[in-house]
Amino acid sequence: MIKQLFIKSYAICCPDMTLLAPFHLSGSDIDKSLMPAAMRRRTSMTTRMAVTAAKLACAQAKADSQQLASVFASLGGEIQVTDALCRLLPDDNELLSPTQFHNSVHNTTTGYWGILNKCQAPSTAIAAADDTFAMGLIEVFSQLQQGSGERLLVCYDELWPQYLAPPIGQTAFACAWVLSTDAEQAIGAMTLPQISENTGQSFSPEWLKLTEAAPAAAVIPLLMALQQQTPGEVPLNIKAPIWTSRISTREEINSGQ
Amino acid sequence: MQNNHALMTPVAITAYSALSACGAGNRALYQSLANNRSALTSLSLFNIPFPAYVGEIKQPLMSIREQLADYNCRNAQVALTALNDAEGGVRTAVEAAKAKYGAHRIGVIIGTSTSGLYETEAAYGVLLDTGNMPDDFHFVTEHAYQATGRFMQLELGLTGVCFAISTACSSGAKAIAAGQRLINAGICDAVLVGGVDTLCRLTLRGFRSLELVASQPCTPMDRNRQGISIGEAAGLMLLEKCHKDNADRMKVLAVGESTDAHHMSTPHPEGEGAALAMRHALQLAGLQAGAVDYLNLHATATKINDHIESRAVFSVFGDSVPCSGTKGMTGHTLGAAGALETIIGLLALQYQFIPGTQGLQILDDDCQCQVIKAPLSKKNIQIAMSNSFGFGGNNASVIVAL
Repeated sequence: MIKQLFIKSYAICCPDMTLLAPFHLSGSDIDKSLMPAAMRRRTSMTTRMAVTAAKLACAQAKADSQQLASVFASLGGEIQVTDALCRLLPDDNELLSPTQFHNSVHNTTTGYWGILNKCQAPSTAIAAADDTFAMGLIEVFSQLQQGSGERLLVCYDELWPQYLAPPIGQTAFACAWVLSTDAEQAIGAMTLPQISENTGQSFSPEWLKLTEAAPAAAVIPLLMALQQQTPGEVPLNIKAPIWTSRISTREEINSGQ
Repeated sequence: MQNNHALMTPVAITAYSALSACGAGNRALYQSLANNRSALTSLSLFNIPFPAYVGEIKQPLMSIREQLADYNCRNAQVALTALNDAEGGVRTAVEAAKAKYGAHRIGVIIGTSTSGLYETEAAYGVLLDTGNMPDDFHFVTEHAYQATGRFMQLELGLTGVCFAISTACSSGAKAIAAGQRLINAGICDAVLVGGVDTLCRLTLRGFRSLELVASQPCTPMDRNRQGISIGEAAGLMLLEKCHKDNADRMKVLAVGESTDAHHMSTPHPEGEGAALAMRHALQLAGLQAGAVDYLNLHATATKINDHIESRAVFSVFGDSVPCSGTKGMTGHTLGAAGALETIIGLLALQYQFIPGTQGLQILDDDCQCQVIKAPLSKKNIQIAMSNSFGFGGNNASVIVAL
């Protein structure tokens, strides 16, 4: 059983960049140049955010996005598309758009990611409410147990209508990672997520507030640990039971710890 | 080295249960298969503005207990009814596993395409009338994808890994894949896996917008097939690591997965992704194509899907493996289909027969693979495969063994 996964890269896509300032992190807005115009017109904010983060993470890791298997993790996925369709359903005379319908599935982003990168490797779409990021990591760990390789993990949620589950979706956030069984060029490493004794009482109010509004912001303590190269245990969700992972820094990896 | 192709270690299926239009429990499903009897009827659950036959669960569903009322929706009720089916014994098996391994060592991975969307649709009616969602609307615990899995985790008092897989019509098959991996990785000792999906307006009207809904009961692989009949179902299995106490149980050998990388709702024209998933499954199981005794096709009965799948199957198996499509009996149960049809594979192994293709009259001339029309007894069936292909070009093929 592999003890840890090596982090090759990460990238954030956050259209409202001011949200990241308290955490001393930086991200990108949606990069329209990463998709052909026809695909851009057909895709939602959530897919464009996830693809932006994923493309940037792959580029940083020099990963081959045509070969890379992927895990897309999102609490709600294509909420805006689903919302638009649900608004039409009460009227029997409304015709649904076939494109909107096939774009309403949770794995819409994985589908477009495959088409964009001509990638036929397995790709999955998962959801686990507040634990979505932690469960995405566990899925990647379990995929890489037998042998060696790399995986793309993308965690994201877009802006939601506020009558669904406020404050979820008040802000939008996406983060992508290239994770590997190989230590070369790693910027850090992490252990398999475990349920901890942590009750969450010491969590920073800024992080809690952001993650309540943008579930994918659960990644922020991990990002900060990597950014600042501080080793130790980081939380991966905000509501008990708290899943945690132990982070190793580049220095620790290089010294063989 | 992006994808590893080491052999997968098999996992034991210590209990399984199906609930569909064919009835509750494995015996009811077997009876429908053995009699090649369609359970498709005209839709009664709600109104839609066009004629459609569906695989609707007509029997009473169990109620969600008061403490878990926030999870109450048709999808959770269908899951609970399947979980408590005494004949399949999934609940009893989970409780035994809990005593043996501990609540934290048992995962719950459920595939679904629409989760509690049926209730959300009704809530939108209220929203549009009043400007507010009704008080009993709970998006995260009813509509969100993990809701049914989390409900079962709480219902069973489990505390381990729990997530949903939602890759449209391959969801249930991919949940089996994730469960097997969690066990092989040593992260879980047992995983409750499966697929649960229920009828709703969005899927019926959405497939209608794609002009894929048949006005008559669907006829997979038939020359005159007209499209899909949607269904609803729960297919649940408890997977456990193999040991001497469960050596007599059937096993999941491997699940192959692939992506078409072609189009969101149309399969790759050469069936590349579908063939890749089948080959990947064989490779992970360490099997040659000739080892498969029965293949349950995805066979949705749309013109293009059946055509492409038959090509893909022929490219992997030639015409040597007996195949059938069973959606003429159950309907296309979407996110549950991968799990329900894997259970149909288990029934083929258990009862040593090849299910038929209900609704098939005249095999499409294009179809080169060996499609079985009416059920037939066959000796020494050891290995079955089940195909599931979803929107987004998301493919999975499950291999199970006696």
